[in-house]
Amino acid sequence: MEEKAKLSVEAEQSDKATILIVTGRVDGSSVGILESAVQEQINAGNKTLVFDFKELSYISSAGLRALLIAARLTQKEGGKALFCALADHIAEIFEISGFNEILDVRATRADALEAV
Amino acid sequence: MGKSPTQVLVVDDEEDLELLVRQKFRRKIREGEFNFFFAHNGKEALDVLNENPDVHLVLSDINMPVMDGLTLLNELAAKDRDVQAVMVSAYGDMKNIRTAMNRGAFDFLTKPIDFNDFETTIEKSIRHVQSVQAAAEVHDRLVAVKQELDMARNVQTSFEPNPLPASDHYDVKALIIPAREVGGDLYDFFFLDESHLGLVIADVSGKGVPAALFATVTQALLRAVRLKDYLAPGNCLTIVNDLLCENNPTCVFTTLFFGVLDLQTGDFKYANAGHNLPRVVKTNAEIEVVPKTGNIVLGVQPGHKYRTGEIQLTPGDTLFLYTDGVTEAQDNQNMEFTESRLDERLAKLSGASSELVVTNVVDAVHEFVGDAVQSDDITCLSVRFLAPLTVHPS
Repeated sequence: MEEKAKLSVEAEQSDKATILIVTGRVDGSSVGILESAVQEQINAGNKTLVFDFKELSYISSAGLRALLIAARLTQKEGGKALFCALADHIAEIFEISGFNEILDVRATRADALEAV
Repeated sequence: MGKSPTQVLVVDDEEDLELLVRQKFRRKIREGEFNFFFAHNGKEALDVLNENPDVHLVLSDINMPVMDGLTLLNELAAKDRDVQAVMVSAYGDMKNIRTAMNRGAFDFLTKPIDFNDFETTIEKSIRHVQSVQAAAEVHDRLVAVKQELDMARNVQTSFEPNPLPASDHYDVKALIIPAREVGGDLYDFFFLDESHLGLVIADVSGKGVPAALFATVTQALLRAVRLKDYLAPGNCLTIVNDLLCENNPTCVFTTLFFGVLDLQTGDFKYANAGHNLPRVVKTNAEIEVVPKTGNIVLGVQPGHKYRTGEIQLTPGDTLFLYTDGVTEAQDNQNMEFTESRLDERLAKLSGASSELVVTNVVDAVHEFVGDAVQSDDITCLSVRFLAPLTVHPS
């Protein structure tokens, strides 16, 4: 695989939540990167996570499962997970799969932070 | 690592190699690190090897009576025996040494023997033997895992529905191309009574054995509840979803589409758990998307109520169900096949047999992706409604 890292997750702290900026593709082979980024925040006691998907280009079902797990984990810790800034084709995947009903999806990062 | 001594065979028609070995390694022999066997020509060496399968290193002279060292190398290669050979020859006998190396010898030593080089060469050869053995063990384990995956694949395949008999009223064909040995895609079709044909397609999150297990469980549950209320497929999915949610700590889920075609009327009732929306290929080559029901994937939200949608098929219409392995298939530039390419291809297949529809769509996907690696299962299910069926009350 000469391909460079196809997924990166960058954490940014705000006073209300931890923002995870997800860039690239989340699929079966890269989902571990996202899962450990989430786990790292939970372990650090950051239980309110805002996923910024502005730079997310693709998400497979394995990726959706990781989001579901993130929502469960944060909930268990008494926090929550919000998802924002979905590109049209990602929003479509959320809509077809019904994930926009199970997950807390907001239009922009500001909307998400307000909803925290 | 190994507690048992390393077994080495020394082959020489004169005593000098044997003496050297006994002397140089006397401590390691005493400590049980090494065990040496000795033979005086190639033939004796083969006999020793036959009796001692644990010998994986041979140290051999080249010029010997009865069978020389080069012939011995040939015999070893022909036996396919897992043995590394280090050849010993006179300094300057480069011709024989080259021949020995070309016949597969691992290394060589020249006489008169340099003690330090001798020991280094033996140790290096033993490390090589050990790494070859470790690789062979890993290989054996991989073969065993592969066999188990093949068995899992067989179990999964055994749940695939039997082909339906040829009919003037319908024409059904499915095709699944797994990305790995076992996959998370599934399809199913079955008669619910003499005129209602059930169709299922699903895609479990993730891949490999865990996804395949979840797929098989889902399929079995749906088969078990399908007769409860098949005129309202949404109710069947509500039950299956609750059962799947009961114990699902790992958050695996599946998208699933379940439809029931009334062959007497062309009425098609369906429920959709977050699956890609099927297409209807009309006889005039128009493509209609089956309307959304707004429901979510199976296995994550207990108590979720699945709605039943309904459309009308007319004779000649083809229903095409697929998984995202079709539309999200990628070429080497990470471009996706997309729904628009799918619809374009389906429009050309209006009126075609289901067999042609599924093979043609898969061919189009393969053509598009070129030599890019297939990363997801590709599954298609095509059903053509040919002519209404008349059921005579018996």
